[in-house]
Amino acid sequence: MELSLEELRRKKLTNLSQSPFQQTKFSITSSAEKIINLFSQFNKEELATKKQKVNIAGRILRIRSFGNLTFSNLVDQTGTIQLKVSKNKEFMGLDIGDIIGIKGTICKTDKGELSVEVEEFVLLSKCLKPLPDIHYGFNDTEERFRKRYLDFIINSENKKILITRHKIIQSIRQFLEQKEFIEIETPVLVSEASGAQAKPFITHHNKLHRNFYLRIATEIPLKTLLVGGFEKVYEIGRIFRNEGIDARHNPEFTTIEVYQAYENSEYMMNLTEEVFHYLSKKILKKEEIEFNSHVISLKNPFRKLSMIEAVKEHTGIDFSHINNLDKVLELAKKHNLKLEKFQKTIGHVILAFFEEFVEKKLVQPTFIYDYPIEVSPLAKSKLDNKNIADRFELYIGGLEFANGYSELNDPIEQKKRLEEQTKQKELGNEEIASFDKEFLEALEYGMPPAGGLGIGIDRLIMLFTGQNSIKEVIAFPQLKSKES
Amino acid sequence: MSAHEESLNPNQYFEIRSEKILKLRESKNPNPYPHKFHVDISIPVFIQKYGSLQPGEHLTEVVNLAGRIHNKRASGAKLRFYDLHGEGVKIQIMAQAQDSERDFAEVHDLLRRGDIVGVRGCPGKSKRGELSIFPKDLVLLSPCLHMLPKAHYGFKDQESRYRQRYLDLIINNNVREKFITRAKIVNYVRKFLDNLGFLEVETPMMNMIAGGATAKPFVTHHNDLKLDLFMRVAPELYLKMLVVGGLDRVYEIGRQFRNESIDLTHNPEFTTVEFYMAYADMYDLMDITENMISTMVKHITGGYKITYHPHGPEGEAYEIDFTPPFRRINMIERLEEKLGVKFPPPSELHSDETNKFLKELCEKNQVECSPPRTNARLLDKLVGDFIEVECVSPTFIIGHPQMMSPLAKSHRDINGLCERFELFVATKEVCNAYTELNDPFDQRERFEEQARQKAQGDEEAQLIDETFCTSLEYGLPPT
Repeated sequence: MELSLEELRRKKLTNLSQSPFQQTKFSITSSAEKIINLFSQFNKEELATKKQKVNIAGRILRIRSFGNLTFSNLVDQTGTIQLKVSKNKEFMGLDIGDIIGIKGTICKTDKGELSVEVEEFVLLSKCLKPLPDIHYGFNDTEERFRKRYLDFIINSENKKILITRHKIIQSIRQFLEQKEFIEIETPVLVSEASGAQAKPFITHHNKLHRNFYLRIATEIPLKTLLVGGFEKVYEIGRIFRNEGIDARHNPEFTTIEVYQAYENSEYMMNLTEEVFHYLSKKILKKEEIEFNSHVISLKNPFRKLSMIEAVKEHTGIDFSHINNLDKVLELAKKHNLKLEKFQKTIGHVILAFFEEFVEKKLVQPTFIYDYPIEVSPLAKSKLDNKNIADRFELYIGGLEFANGYSELNDPIEQKKRLEEQTKQKELGNEEIASFDKEFLEALEYGMPPAGGLGIGIDRLIMLFTGQNSIKEVIAFPQLKSKES
Repeated sequence: MSAHEESLNPNQYFEIRSEKILKLRESKNPNPYPHKFHVDISIPVFIQKYGSLQPGEHLTEVVNLAGRIHNKRASGAKLRFYDLHGEGVKIQIMAQAQDSERDFAEVHDLLRRGDIVGVRGCPGKSKRGELSIFPKDLVLLSPCLHMLPKAHYGFKDQESRYRQRYLDLIINNNVREKFITRAKIVNYVRKFLDNLGFLEVETPMMNMIAGGATAKPFVTHHNDLKLDLFMRVAPELYLKMLVVGGLDRVYEIGRQFRNESIDLTHNPEFTTVEFYMAYADMYDLMDITENMISTMVKHITGGYKITYHPHGPEGEAYEIDFTPPFRRINMIERLEEKLGVKFPPPSELHSDETNKFLKELCEKNQVECSPPRTNARLLDKLVGDFIEVECVSPTFIIGHPQMMSPLAKSHRDINGLCERFELFVATKEVCNAYTELNDPFDQRERFEEQARQKAQGDEEAQLIDETFCTSLEYGLPPT
């Protein structure tokens, strides 16, 4: 009976005199990228004279023979390099996917391809299951994420997305460190799922005999740190929302929230823009990116307009002159906007118009400011208009990237707003800001006026790597269970 | 504060102050929660810039700063003193009626201890040499409606300190420093690993199986997917799958969750760093760990020695010396020394015979071990009582038996042991590391053994993670 490919490989393994799984160490002296960077410039003869020795290790992804010579591609974290092996039967016994360590000399083939001529090699780990064929590719979206390690092996450009993710987060930290911000970790397990409007996860602590929610935002504890006297504080951390998954949503995702005492919404808007410019300079090294089938220019300055102005531009309706609720509801009906019971206020309708007719059209980076107060329970209202919040959001490619405001620090006003949110819940709004007594108590001790800002890190990575699905920028995105 | 106010209890104080502020919110005369006060210098920078002035010297330049008032003192009708605190330091506000641009009484009668204020004025030093700001105006930015705990008695009750952490930060000086040091430590670990070519990644905190360490997990439920999910107890398995995927050097600094009791060194959620390095082994890792920790201590404190009070500032002090190299202890050998017995050979440590031996040893030395009394758990208790207690300065414990570590590679020379080390400081475990098991057959067997132990009642034993086992079949390099 013929053995399957996998069974053949297992047989090979048992026939080896020494199991590769006993190997514990291989001393590497270089990497694919280093070799390419340092030695590409030399020609065949120069390299032959240099006789530069290296030890490298990685996975072999191709094996092909021409007469006495065997060529192979070795892949490590940094890239791919060709191996050249002469007259070695044992090497031919290797399988694609095997992990080996080699000692060799850097050279160039007759065709001028930079390679390492292998003098010795050792099998460090056996690939027992055959890899998906490189020619067919490994493209099925479900499979790629279920076996994410295979995705990274076969589609090595996806590794680069994680490398860019690392660089972006690293750069944001550097940016904030230069401005003397301190990063503080706040609890994931909380008593109130506050600081945003979303459905939370709930869990149970056995020994304490109580339930906890998983945080849906880091806003509230960071603001209590402002009360505690930290004037420049931030947190990059995991947030959890018990909602459906799609191309833009994963149940757990990463945000950054930044708070600065004695500043306001306008300041945070400028800070947001500064971050984007800093990142485009450092990471992209250019100011234009392709995203969501658009070409986006990150050149400054970003456009700024109020929500009412934006709605006027795209629908012709000027809400700044309309103060009558009936008139507003009529306009909504005329434009086929479906409104829930809790949405029957002027502010909610303006937001509904914005979300329906404007949002997706904001392709180039645009700041929208002056939000209805009904949907901004934690933001300070404007000095001259208490129905409008001193709040902004940043839209790029039709998607929201950042949200910030002048923080509401008046405990009496804050209590009113949270009570108002509870009323909305009774009218059918499932996503409300929860009533957080401990936060109110903290405000009673005096929180300085402050500006705050939140950015979705995963979305930011999507923008900078040109990805349309959030799954691509997360190492192991949440998948439906196999049975469903 | 008037003499009358001094005698109020906290509730009365709150009522009276709240009423006053409520009135101001209506009259806006002034607005007690103004929108913006422009600050052009922070208190630490103010101290840096003007600290060297002469006593009695007054400058004419005007600066704007802000902070929280901790003390208010009157000296007659035309002079008010305040301590203004910000970012861990303080300066004096010396308000003289002659300097005030508005009605002096109006400005100052409003303010109370704990209020956040903005000050516009001139830097200078009092005759006594106290660095001060001489205000032209003082603006209330955010009132403190409650009585602040007195600095005198302090704010010491542990429960309250944690429940109202902001008060702890306001009243107790050293608390702020702790968090700044924490941030420095985390920063240092990141930079150290980044410099060695490691990639920082984020792996899921919610999984369908809770594996990677021995601990009880939190469970939650995803509504839409109709799935039960577990909060991670460690990111290990995902990080190793990334190494299979070709990311040779990865790390994650992140939150872990254990559904256990709380004590001085255990919180249900806590932060760890886990890093994986392909082609390196346990000995490489010991060197890297030693290097990272000793240089970090030097970088942050200026030296290698620190004093630590495990039971609070009034309790005993440990002198901890981080000078490399750290001491290395072999587990079984040291137990044999301390207990004056000879253990069975390593290859027998998992046997029923050894179980008997360990049970007797525990009884003889009054070491308690709750059921299930497996070999691994009995040995763990012995190590806890006899070896860990002597590890005050950083000490590596090595030579663990295989049975205690399902994810560690077998010792390259000694059958029955594995390649693992733990680092203990101040008698507590701070690191755990090994040469990773990468043999898929071996791994599956170990998981099955653990599943058997779970069936015996050890709730903490790990479940078999199929996805992880499959990934090993594609080849995990020695790591």
